[in-house]
Amino acid sequence: MVELHHLERKLLLILKDGNEADLETIQRRTGLPEASISRASLWLSSKNYLEVREKEEVFLQLGSEGRRFLEEGLPERRLIKRLIEAGGKSSIEEAKRLSRLSEEDFNVAIGWARKKGWLHIKKEGNRTLFIVQKEPEEGFDELLIASLGEQTRSLRELSSLLVKGLTELSTRPNVVHQKREVERRYILSEEGLKLIDEVKNAPQELSQLTPELIKSGQWRKLKLRKYNIQAPVENVWPGKKQAYKRFLDDLKWKLVALGFREMEGPLVEFAFFNCDALFMPQDHPAREIHDIYYIKQPSSGDLSAHSTLVNNVKATHEGGWKTGSSGWGYKFSLEETRRLILRSQGTALSARMLVDKELEIPGKYYSLSRCYRPDVVDRTHLTEFNQAEGIVIGEGLTFRDLLGILEMFATEIAGAEKVKFRPDYFPFTEPSVELSAYKEGAGWLEFGGAGMFRQEVTLPLGIEVPVIAWGLGVDRLFMMKTGINDIRELFTQDLEWLRKQRLT
Amino acid sequence: MPVIEVLFNDLQRLVKADLPRNLAELTDILSYVKGEAVSLEEDALSIEIKDGNRPDLWCVEGIARELKGALGVEEGLREYVVKGFSGISMEVDPRLENIRPFIGCAVVKEVHLTSEVIRELMHLQDKLDQTYGRRRRRASIGLYNLGLITPPLQFDVAKPEDVSFVPLGGEVEMTLREIVESHPKGIEYGHLVKKHERWPILRDSKEKVLSIPPIINSNNLGKISEGEEDIFVEVTGTDYRTVLNTLKIVTLSLADRGEEIFSTQVRYPYGEERVVSTPNLSVKEVRLDLNYVNQILGLSLKVDMVLKLLKRARYNVKWSGGSSIEVTVPCYRMDVMHQLDIIEDVAIMYGYNNLKPRWPQQITFGKISDFEAFSDATREVMTGLGFQETLSFSLSNDEQLFRKMNLKGEKAVELLNPTSLRFTCLQSWLIPSLMDFLSKNTHVEYPQRIFEVGDCVVPDEASETGVQNIRKLACLITHSNSNFSEIKASLNAFSINMGFKHQLFESTHKSFIEGRVGTIFVQKKQVGIIGEINPLILEMWGLENPVTGFEVNLSTLMNAT
Repeated sequence: MVELHHLERKLLLILKDGNEADLETIQRRTGLPEASISRASLWLSSKNYLEVREKEEVFLQLGSEGRRFLEEGLPERRLIKRLIEAGGKSSIEEAKRLSRLSEEDFNVAIGWARKKGWLHIKKEGNRTLFIVQKEPEEGFDELLIASLGEQTRSLRELSSLLVKGLTELSTRPNVVHQKREVERRYILSEEGLKLIDEVKNAPQELSQLTPELIKSGQWRKLKLRKYNIQAPVENVWPGKKQAYKRFLDDLKWKLVALGFREMEGPLVEFAFFNCDALFMPQDHPAREIHDIYYIKQPSSGDLSAHSTLVNNVKATHEGGWKTGSSGWGYKFSLEETRRLILRSQGTALSARMLVDKELEIPGKYYSLSRCYRPDVVDRTHLTEFNQAEGIVIGEGLTFRDLLGILEMFATEIAGAEKVKFRPDYFPFTEPSVELSAYKEGAGWLEFGGAGMFRQEVTLPLGIEVPVIAWGLGVDRLFMMKTGINDIRELFTQDLEWLRKQRLT
Repeated sequence: MPVIEVLFNDLQRLVKADLPRNLAELTDILSYVKGEAVSLEEDALSIEIKDGNRPDLWCVEGIARELKGALGVEEGLREYVVKGFSGISMEVDPRLENIRPFIGCAVVKEVHLTSEVIRELMHLQDKLDQTYGRRRRRASIGLYNLGLITPPLQFDVAKPEDVSFVPLGGEVEMTLREIVESHPKGIEYGHLVKKHERWPILRDSKEKVLSIPPIINSNNLGKISEGEEDIFVEVTGTDYRTVLNTLKIVTLSLADRGEEIFSTQVRYPYGEERVVSTPNLSVKEVRLDLNYVNQILGLSLKVDMVLKLLKRARYNVKWSGGSSIEVTVPCYRMDVMHQLDIIEDVAIMYGYNNLKPRWPQQITFGKISDFEAFSDATREVMTGLGFQETLSFSLSNDEQLFRKMNLKGEKAVELLNPTSLRFTCLQSWLIPSLMDFLSKNTHVEYPQRIFEVGDCVVPDEASETGVQNIRKLACLITHSNSNFSEIKASLNAFSINMGFKHQLFESTHKSFIEGRVGTIFVQKKQVGIIGEINPLILEMWGLENPVTGFEVNLSTLMNAT
């Protein structure tokens, strides 16, 4: 006796009338979902009881742009018509006005009109002229749009000219939607036919244990069908944290375990807290529009609640104030310091923390903050990224404490076996240091930077004890851990990848 | 940070020591100048200098000067002297005061110019112009063959049409305006003078043009070529200190090749007339406190040790008893503003890796913020309800936030200087980026349930910055049967687990289907919206399954519960 799944049996029994059927018929007669029918047919065909024949058909339908073109005509057609009405010759600006097209449509129209040879562009002195000879005939693309109209048509029914039109339109987004449909026919084989008799005469087996069967005790009299435990099942996925967010969560708890307290602050920040309070001179290259995002409206904010701090910082930049420094020696602009920017470094949060009334001394603080930089996005650059930054504040802290903290980060967070310190430069710290961590298999990785806040930073903010400032390159650390080498994948939109990321 | 191209053998010759060719070992040595060996091919060595405030290190001579000290080849102050007055004076026109007020000049005699030296000079000039000179605004450099110039010189102004000359590398004479409008350097730097009626111009006593600072030199006078030459260096700019510092760096780099420096006199007419002699190569005296050194570094160094380390860092030093050390700071160390800058040099010469790290003794309690804890709780509930968390950019654009959500007339907080059409403003709500996510996953198995907790920014006149950060939670469900009941069930579960009671009110919102959308209220405060996404929007995103979702303001929600 051949062991059959109940779905296989159902399918066989349907097919016994006429030996073959299409999906729709089977669905109607069995009431089974498509997925179950395909599974059963797959099993049966693998055992040679059944053959599945597939025929593909493509259906066409106008998309949102296509429907708009149906109504308004193609943008290049509209452009050409208007140009002819206006005498067939005009400058680019005139053409734009005449065409009454949107900026986007206008550009599209020029591109296509040139490609189709409808439009000649001529330089006359420093003027660029558009020249149109005559109204062009209707193209195959336009014919196709008209012929599709509101209906759905099969590709097979199209004339060869309309197919040409389809090729032309296929490069334009949302004009024609193509939908592939596969028609399947299920046909019994010789072996399948023989099997049917066997199946018909076999006693009914039970596939599902039900509450009724349990309550009534009937299950004792019935046979529960054996399961094919190798049979494939549908996929299910757990709800879980985004992989990079999860990594940042881990980091967060490690920092908390090391005694760090979280700092918070706004994404849109004053140039004052992001730069000036950190002793970055106002014409520092990192403050140019190539390196920092400025807000358009409102372009500046109200710093009056911080006027004492602003005055201290101003005096420090200009001549050192009471810090023992010579200062930068330039005229500090109050306009500039009020400007609003997108936070470009997590250190802005540290500057805010130092003037927060909740600041505790001694104290350790951290932030995991989104920061922004006007880069062009590619595999190594993002316009927004995450920074782990923080401060340690307390009487008697020294440069050696700073090295100790960095060493602790390298071993506890990156799992490093060796560390190396090198001199580095940040406008707001002195001495400054860069941390490299070594891990077997990964080699040396530049992993963080740190320093003692300059007196020009701390004293104007009213802090008279040493402050250690540190930052860690968390994006790189995560990339190293997961083997990602395209930084854009931190913000991945690949649902399948996210679903399959392991948690250990 | 600046990357300096030098010749390996030239560096060895200047340092007077053999250097390793292995990049890691070379980097260990270059650490003394905060440098990293980026590449070494045959003789061509690229060094990245990480210090943006040490322009004296942006040339091979400067690097060699410091390495000689660190490696013990030559210690203490390297003195530079002005040999005498060159006899050249410069008159400055008062009308320059609001255009480009400052100039400094020097003469270096009998410079032996080889093609390598010229190449390195050009390289240094460009680095200084771009970075320290802020793309020639703050300062820009000009080099000339002194033999071709007839002093005295004048730094004055001219109307753009009134003067013409042949720009460097060109053949035909052009007016100043033609140069600014059509010469590559004119196009690049023209904005620095264009807004003025008259432009800066440098001429000699025969009215021959040296250059139009900061744009380009003349081809006749402003070209230096191989051989023995007397060089005239000129730096103009908008910041007095930067101009003089830049001049110093260029002249010292020439002097380090064994040539002698002569001064010039600049007569300034602004306010009270004064005559300034440039370059100024005077040193600075700073008093360093030994106790402060030890306090910062966590060491107990003896005075002899500190004196030795300072000399290796090329300072001259004198112990004046007790804990007081007099430090003579060389003229090129413009970065020394505070004792701390000298203390860092002590640490560098001591060796960062010779300092024993220690963990701060203070005991502190770690803690995440209350709001972060609240956000984390919402994430826990959402993942428990079967939603996959996503992470999106918080920068967005009007198209995504509004037009593709069927909204009109809404306004986000925009950037002044966006770098692409994709990122022009800050997101004001989260559902659009989740829609974007779904549109990228139409081929992936359904059902799809996603959520995100993210920061949004909206205008708020009451706040000091005029805008407000709002953290929101949004989620979407999509599959062939997704509907209002399903998303409402998720919201109910969310409410119960977050410990609040919500009410729904019928409302209208163009992003959702009419009659299938509600506003969510908690404690009489509006906290969010729930509904089925309008099919018009689904079409725009290319989605073929119904989508339902909700979005809540966590900031308001936390205060309401």
